[in-house]
Amino acid sequence: MSHTKHKTIRMIKDKIFLIVVGTLTLLAILPLFHIILSIFEKGLPIVMERGLTFITGTLSEGGIGPAIVGTLMLTIMATLIGLPLAFLAGAYAYEFPDSFIGRGTKMLLQIMLEFPTILVGTFIMGLLVIPMGSFSALAGALSLALILTPYVAVYTEEAMAEVPRIYKEGGYALGCTRAQVIFKVITKMAKKGILTGILIGMAKVAGETAPLLFTAGGLYEVYPTDPLQPIGAIPLLIYTLVQSPSPQDHQMAWGAALIMLLIFLSIFVPIRYALKDDIKL
Amino acid sequence: MKILKQLDKFKIATLPAIFIVFLLFVLMLGFYFINALPAIEKYGINLFITNIWQAAEDPAKEVYGLAAPIWGSIYTATIAILIALPLSICYAIFVNDYAPKKLKHPLIIISDIMAGLPTIIYGIWGAFILVPLLRDYIMKFLYNHLSFIPLFNYPPLSGYCYLSAGILLGIMVTPFAAAIIREAYAMIPSVYKEGLVALGATRYETTKVLIKYIKPAIISGLILAFGRALGETVAVSLVIGNSFNLTYKLFAPGYTISSLIANQFGNAILYKYMTSVLYSAGLVLFVIGLVVNILGLYYLKRWREYVSH
Repeated sequence: MSHTKHKTIRMIKDKIFLIVVGTLTLLAILPLFHIILSIFEKGLPIVMERGLTFITGTLSEGGIGPAIVGTLMLTIMATLIGLPLAFLAGAYAYEFPDSFIGRGTKMLLQIMLEFPTILVGTFIMGLLVIPMGSFSALAGALSLALILTPYVAVYTEEAMAEVPRIYKEGGYALGCTRAQVIFKVITKMAKKGILTGILIGMAKVAGETAPLLFTAGGLYEVYPTDPLQPIGAIPLLIYTLVQSPSPQDHQMAWGAALIMLLIFLSIFVPIRYALKDDIKL
Repeated sequence: MKILKQLDKFKIATLPAIFIVFLLFVLMLGFYFINALPAIEKYGINLFITNIWQAAEDPAKEVYGLAAPIWGSIYTATIAILIALPLSICYAIFVNDYAPKKLKHPLIIISDIMAGLPTIIYGIWGAFILVPLLRDYIMKFLYNHLSFIPLFNYPPLSGYCYLSAGILLGIMVTPFAAAIIREAYAMIPSVYKEGLVALGATRYETTKVLIKYIKPAIISGLILAFGRALGETVAVSLVIGNSFNLTYKLFAPGYTISSLIANQFGNAILYKYMTSVLYSAGLVLFVIGLVVNILGLYYLKRWREYVSH
């Protein structure tokens, strides 16, 4: 009698547990759908209404063209600055995982990965913007490069570590130097992982706002041309528009958020799907 | 000759990069320290333990204390962790054990998208959608019915407050913590699970034991999520209300260190000491962030080594 009762209690507990786990999982991912729906609901009308002007026009014409170009320019400049540094640092951390400097490098890169991004912005402001006397695309790109570097470096290191040791040994057996083995053999074999790291790093910095607050300055009435002049970016523009009291600005912000979301998803989702098989379950 | 041999081409190419990375880090720490010094010298320990913000043209009348933003950063990040804890653990359990095969990859990809989504997108959604929702349906209800509890007895006028910031941060860091916990959960050797099932344990009982096994990974995931919540800037500054308020009351507007810097740095140059005060705030964030992240990374590394043995 009491035995079956005990069993029933256990079964009920089990059912409650399943329901709780399922509900909380749903609750954890629900915000994403709500965010995407809200952005489409609020952003789509304004983008449809303005049409191509929204993508190409300046802010007073009712478009975010300069911001889109600014984000592109900043991302590319940041990649050009950060990539060589990141690749070499990642390669070093891969080659010397047990040495003091190698371990320190890896630790440092992981810390930089989690570093508050606003601090990078204020650092570059003191280092570059104040001495130069004005906000500039260069300063913006430099602070983004500081954020991109650890991403690419960590991905590079991990991708290289995945390459079977036998290829490395083969390279040395053929009489290659260390530089040849790593830069020609291992790099080529780890190409996919490194490329993923670069793209994820780029997607990340393209959406960053905080490091640009005190470095890029903002430029929304003309297209940016000079790297030493201020520049705009979509996230920065959204941040400014959200803080404005006017409802028209809020509408613009929603439209810009829609464009930002589409750019992010179109880069991020294909990469993530390409990596599907790497997920351990 | 021997030194030349050791310095092969690989090292010649990579060492400058390593040097630059280390240099940048040291430069940054030194930069914050040097720029924070004038304010620390002028106000001493009061800069960090009093709550006051008096900007004045006359430097002698300027008085600053950062207690409210420091408290705000820790308070909102703690709320975020309290939200992320149950959500991320349940997500990890569900994805690993109960999700139908077809759902597993989509669930993981959704969570990864959430972890990588530009924070300004969370910011605009938080400011225009989440805050009004929370204010109208949750805060007003709690204030009207439960305001005898001190936590809830601040009138939720605008809805921009500690609670909103904490909840938004919780949503943002959940996928991050979930990824670490899910990975750890998947690494549990299957013999444990098989043994438990063979003993006749129900799914609830099995999971209860397995969760205890990955406790170090859960703790390190939450520590790292805490660090991430501390550093988040734009999303928080759009929902926290931005005012100096040293209180535990959930519906009161507040400040965090990063939102303070984002809000005040632009006009700080007008005053003699404000820039330095903000760099001191940055230094505090720098040091707390460093300690939290090193702690989290260290625990995670130790756990991974323990499991792989």
